[in-house]
Amino acid sequence: MRIFHKKDGGIIQLIGKDKMLEWPVELPLVFIEYIREKQLPTYGDNKIQKEVSDYLDEILKDVAIPRLISVLEGKNLDEIILALERIEELSKKNVDMAKPIQPYLNNLLNNPNKDIKKFAQNISENFQKAERKKELAKKRKIMREKENLFLEGKISGEEYVKTRKEYLTLKE
Amino acid sequence: MSKKAKTLNWDLKETKNLFKEYLERGSEKKEIKLPEDTIKIDDLRRKETLNRIYKLVDNVIKKIYATGRPTIELPSRSSTNIIWDEENDLLLLGKQIMEKQFHSLTSVADITRLMRVLEIIDELLVKDIHATKREIYYTDVKLFADQKNSDKSIEDAATMLYTTRNATHIVAAPKGTCVGRLRIRDRNDIIDLEGLGSGGWTISPMLDNIEIIESDAEFILVIEKDAAMMRLAEARFWRKYPCILLTAQGVGNVAVRMFLKRLSKELNLPVFSLVDSDPYGHYIHSVYLRGSKRLSYESPFLATPNIKLLGVLTRDLDAYKIPNEVRIPMNKTDIKRTKDLLNEDFVKKNKKWESDLALALKLKVKAEIQAFSSHGFEFLTDHYIPEKLSTGDWI
Repeated sequence: MRIFHKKDGGIIQLIGKDKMLEWPVELPLVFIEYIREKQLPTYGDNKIQKEVSDYLDEILKDVAIPRLISVLEGKNLDEIILALERIEELSKKNVDMAKPIQPYLNNLLNNPNKDIKKFAQNISENFQKAERKKELAKKRKIMREKENLFLEGKISGEEYVKTRKEYLTLKE
Repeated sequence: MSKKAKTLNWDLKETKNLFKEYLERGSEKKEIKLPEDTIKIDDLRRKETLNRIYKLVDNVIKKIYATGRPTIELPSRSSTNIIWDEENDLLLLGKQIMEKQFHSLTSVADITRLMRVLEIIDELLVKDIHATKREIYYTDVKLFADQKNSDKSIEDAATMLYTTRNATHIVAAPKGTCVGRLRIRDRNDIIDLEGLGSGGWTISPMLDNIEIIESDAEFILVIEKDAAMMRLAEARFWRKYPCILLTAQGVGNVAVRMFLKRLSKELNLPVFSLVDSDPYGHYIHSVYLRGSKRLSYESPFLATPNIKLLGVLTRDLDAYKIPNEVRIPMNKTDIKRTKDLLNEDFVKKNKKWESDLALALKLKVKAEIQAFSSHGFEFLTDHYIPEKLSTGDWI
C-alpha cells in the first residue's frame, strides 16, 4: 500500500500501482476517477490532497495509459473488443476518463472488424456529444451576458439576435 | 452516566501509538518463519492448484503401473499432529504423514469421496467458479451420505494439495459483515464500505476476487455479536473514530478470518476483539488469534496473531460498575470451559489473559456486551470502547 500522512496524524493508504498491472484494462482509470471524485475531497488538508493527486497522475502515466495502449496496439481482437466495450461505458459516464484513447480512435474507426468499428464509432460519438455540450454551455453563457447587456441598453438588438441565433443553431 | 460520557473526548492515544509502531515495523513482521517440524502450505493461484492436482494424479497413475496398489499420502490432521508454535502464537500441523490405500476396505469409502472431491475441485478451477461446501455435498448425496463426510474430504483435499481451502474454490456460505473506512475492489466493481448503510458489506467467501484499494482507518474492531455491531453501526462509530468494524456472528468462518488477516497484514492496522465476558467469547478471540485446531493446516493464512482482547474483560465488570442484575452466574459448562482455557499453553503464556480468566473462575460470573446498556444505550460507543482504546486497557 502507498501511505500518506495527514497533518492531523491520520493515515491514508492506497493500493500500490504495481498491483494494478493485473487489473482489467479500464479499471485503473475507474480507480483514479473514483478516488479523485469521491475520496480526495474528504481528506481535508491541501498538502495530502496534492500528494494523493500526484500519485493518481503517476498511476495514469505509469499504468493506466500504457496498459490501454498495449491492448489497443496489440493483435488480440477479443482483448481490444473487451477493452473498447469498457471504454465505451466509461465514456458515457465520464468522457474525460476515456480521453487517453483519442489518438488511437482514427485507426480503430478504420478497423475491418465490425465490432471494433462499432465501439470506436460509439466512443467517437460520445466525445462529439461531450464536445457539443461544452460548446453549447459556452454559447449559452455568452448569450446570457449579451442578453443582460441588451436589457441594459449597452448593445444593439441586432448584436443580441446574432448571438442568440448562434446558440439556437448549435442547439438544434 | 451516559450524559457524562457524551461530554468526554477520547484521543485513542494508545491505539494510535500501536498503529504507528506497526507501520514502522512494516514488512519485517509480515514474513512468518514456521518451525521446522511443521508443514508449510501455500495460498495458491488457480493454475498452480490445478498443477498440484495433475502432479498428484500422475503419482497415483505411476503407482498403479508400478505396484497395482495405489496409495495417497497426506499430512495427518489428528490432535497428536497439531503443534502450538509459541514464537508465532499459531496452531500448526506437524509433519506426521498418513497413507490412504485404494485397496483397503477400511479406507475405500474415504478415498473414493476424496477423489470425487478432487474431481470437483478440478472442475471448479477449470471453469473459474466457486461452490459452497453444501453444494459439494449435493453433487453426490449417495456417496457422501452426510455433509460431515464431504466436509472432511474437502479439508483432506486441501491438506493433500498443501494449500488453503480457499485456493480450491470451495467456500463457506457468506456469514460475516464489514463496515467502515474501507474501499475494496470486487472484480470490476469498487465498493465503499462506508456507503452501504448500517447493514454493511457481506464478506464474500470468494476472496480471490477481493482487493483492498483504499482506507483511512486506524484500527479494526472485531465484534462477536450482531446486536453490538448494530449499536456501533447505528452510531456510525467509524465516522468519529476512523476504523473498520467486522462481525462474524460468533466464531469467524474461513472467509471472515482470512479477510481479517488480509486487512491486518496489508493495512498494518491494530486489531481488537469485543466479545462477551464468558469462556465462549474468549474462545472466539482465541480462534482469531491463533487459529482453530480443525483448520490448523492453514493457520498462517487465517490467524491474526496481533489481535488484542479489548473486552469485555471480567475485571471490566467492576471497573465499569456493571450492576449485579445483568451479571449471569456461570453454569457447569462455563466453569469447565474456563478451566480448559486456563490449561491452554497460549493462555498460560499470556499472564494478563490468565489472570482475567482466573478472576472469572473465582467470581463465577459472566456478562454479555449488552450489559453496558444498563448505563444507557450509548455507553458502549461513547465511553467504554473509546476509553479502552485511549488508555490501552486490553489483553
